[in-house]
Amino acid sequence: MNIRIGLIQFFSITLLFELGTALVVNLGLEAGKDAWLSILTGTVIGVIVFMGYAYLYWTYPKLTLTGYTRKLLGKYIGIPVSLLYIILFLNLAGRDLRDGSTMLAMATMHNTPLFIISTLMILSVAYVLHKGVEVLTRTSLVFTFIVLLIGIFCTLLLMLSGSIHLHRLLPVMEDGLRPIAAAVLQQNYMFPFGEMISFTMLMPYLSNVKKGPWVIAAAILTSGLLLSFTMALNISVLGADIVSRAPLPLMPVISKISLSDFIQRVDVFVVMVLIIGVFFKIAVFFAAAMIGISELFGLPYRRMLYPSALIILFTSMLDARNFTEHLEEGGRLLYRVYPIFVLLIPAILMVLAAIRHHRSAPRSG
Amino acid sequence: MKTRAKAAFSVLLVCLQLMFFLSLTGCWDSVELNRRAIVSGVAIDRGPNEEQKYVISFQIIVADEISGENSRGVSPVTLYTGRGRTMFEALANASRQTARFLSLGHVRVLVISEAFAREGIKGIMDVLERESDMRLTTLFFISKGQPAIDCMSTLTVFGKIPSNDLVEKLETTSKQFGYSYKMEVDDVIRGIQTIGGGPLINGVYVSGARSKADTKKNLETIEPQAIIRIKGLAVFKDDKLKGWLEGEAAAGAALIRNKIKHLPVIIKMKDGSYVSCNVYQSQVHIKAELTDPEHPVFSVRITQQAAIKESSNDLELTDPQVLKDISVKIAEVTHQQLETAIVSTQKLKSDVLGFGEVLERSHPRGWKKIRDRWSRIYATSRIEIATEAVIRHTDMRTDSFQVNKPE
Repeated sequence: MNIRIGLIQFFSITLLFELGTALVVNLGLEAGKDAWLSILTGTVIGVIVFMGYAYLYWTYPKLTLTGYTRKLLGKYIGIPVSLLYIILFLNLAGRDLRDGSTMLAMATMHNTPLFIISTLMILSVAYVLHKGVEVLTRTSLVFTFIVLLIGIFCTLLLMLSGSIHLHRLLPVMEDGLRPIAAAVLQQNYMFPFGEMISFTMLMPYLSNVKKGPWVIAAAILTSGLLLSFTMALNISVLGADIVSRAPLPLMPVISKISLSDFIQRVDVFVVMVLIIGVFFKIAVFFAAAMIGISELFGLPYRRMLYPSALIILFTSMLDARNFTEHLEEGGRLLYRVYPIFVLLIPAILMVLAAIRHHRSAPRSG
Repeated sequence: MKTRAKAAFSVLLVCLQLMFFLSLTGCWDSVELNRRAIVSGVAIDRGPNEEQKYVISFQIIVADEISGENSRGVSPVTLYTGRGRTMFEALANASRQTARFLSLGHVRVLVISEAFAREGIKGIMDVLERESDMRLTTLFFISKGQPAIDCMSTLTVFGKIPSNDLVEKLETTSKQFGYSYKMEVDDVIRGIQTIGGGPLINGVYVSGARSKADTKKNLETIEPQAIIRIKGLAVFKDDKLKGWLEGEAAAGAALIRNKIKHLPVIIKMKDGSYVSCNVYQSQVHIKAELTDPEHPVFSVRITQQAAIKESSNDLELTDPQVLKDISVKIAEVTHQQLETAIVSTQKLKSDVLGFGEVLERSHPRGWKKIRDRWSRIYATSRIEIATEAVIRHTDMRTDSFQVNKPE
């Protein structure tokens, strides 16, 4: 682990990872027009959960998740659990690949086979990872600027074309707290902020042990605010009903932009944001899986890259027959499987680490 | 051995990379511009039976005629009609007649015939929302008492493309002298979903000799034989057309929806002469009181600013009191407009003016109790109107000139 990655790079990759697909989909719409509130709640939960990961990182700053799993749980439980984590990361990468390519197919490329879109996307991810995680994080810095610029530009255009009607967000909390709580419990406490578990694999690269996790937490907060803002924007342009029925609400929102019939049809920006977001999401999961594999099996990182790319590609293709099935399955995973990996196992690890730390502390002191 | 393996691997990699160029050459989805037929407007009529329920006419731009040396001097747009049980089938049937791919990305206007609107437009809306090529900024019209196809087959003087002419007409009238305003696809969808109400959609019709409208002869005479006109607002209840608002009622409706930019107001003075004013700003505030849940009380407060445009009589416009009198009269006219609008929508039992939304925003709890019966309650609810107008200036003259005025 000689590579050191700066804090700004980590901030930007966290931001892009969190915005990823979440920016373009209809997030938290179970809460109706209060979706933005449920996203904010989800962000707070996400930061708290992440601080748990940060505690583990501070205890073992040199080890990855799979590393300290084996240290804390012992060889016989640790190795299977680490393997499960690797499978989880590959599966998440595959799911995001499917998400991204289907959305692209729905939005613009109706006739292009899904397989081709997915192949091109996973190959570009594999290429960047072939160059190393460092390159990935530096790339993210460039793309963060692009995404933020697009965001500012589009918001300005929407404001100028007079499509924003804030009263569509009113009345806030019409049905009380219950729908928000339901949305948080169904989706927002896990998606997208629960996926930060993959960063436990990357954090040993942090150049600054003390400040690093705080910077990442700041990035989570920022991305949560941006997501919440975007969803509020979507609802104020189209109304909660249309947004909840649109798989990609950002597309119709952007299509409302029309400045004196001159600036219009800027939906290509959304496609760009979509591709960038999906790219970094897959890349982070993929990198997490690769780091895990190389560490667990003692293999060089690059040798397993293309085989894993194939695995991801085929999981994404074989995962469901259509997008609805894919989303339904995702919902079930989000409910039943991911919490085990995102909350339960890290919690157990934290307790164990705390006990061990407590025991060993007096001796060392 | 190792170096050879490495060399082989890199050769393999290069081959792989070269293969990617194959996939980058052409997108599957690309359709070159010269293979596209750009649709500028769509008209939807009700067919005679279920098998041909949707009769869709596409006004397609003939690019060669708009600009370019290949122009043959024929009509700048052409019309293809398809029929089907669903919108999509009709579209497919229409595109079978065309030599090029129908490109729906630039549809500016969508005209639905009144007959279809009375039956319900729900079936039309889904495809407009779902189709990723369509934009939500397409403008909606209801063809008043005529088949919708007439609006698509009328050649217009300004602009070669009739649909663009219609868009521009709407933009001009909404900025001056008019109550019509932009209603786009998502406005209509949200309108259909408002509880106890519906969308408010501009009416359009072709006046004059409709039989001559679709030939170039329409443009050869100084006075066009047929003109597309925007007139009236169609009141919907849910997705069905219930009636029309015209004149005063339409102006009142647009005022309540806060969509009016300029509106002429003509006042009759005591001596029988007229004063014309231009209202150039109106601001509406609607408040809801819900002391008794069955009888909500609304108060509509409107403040307007106006300028005097015409006063060919002997009024002393230098006297502030006279201006005050005139502004009171403007307020009375506005009051009348708002009242007609409210009364006529109450008669149609459709809350197109958005009072329900005001109630929902200010009294969410009480709203929930009555929203199922809202259209009935709306029809009998009391709406108080308070109008106020200020005349800011009298334009370039004060008093009007008088004939042989004795000193």
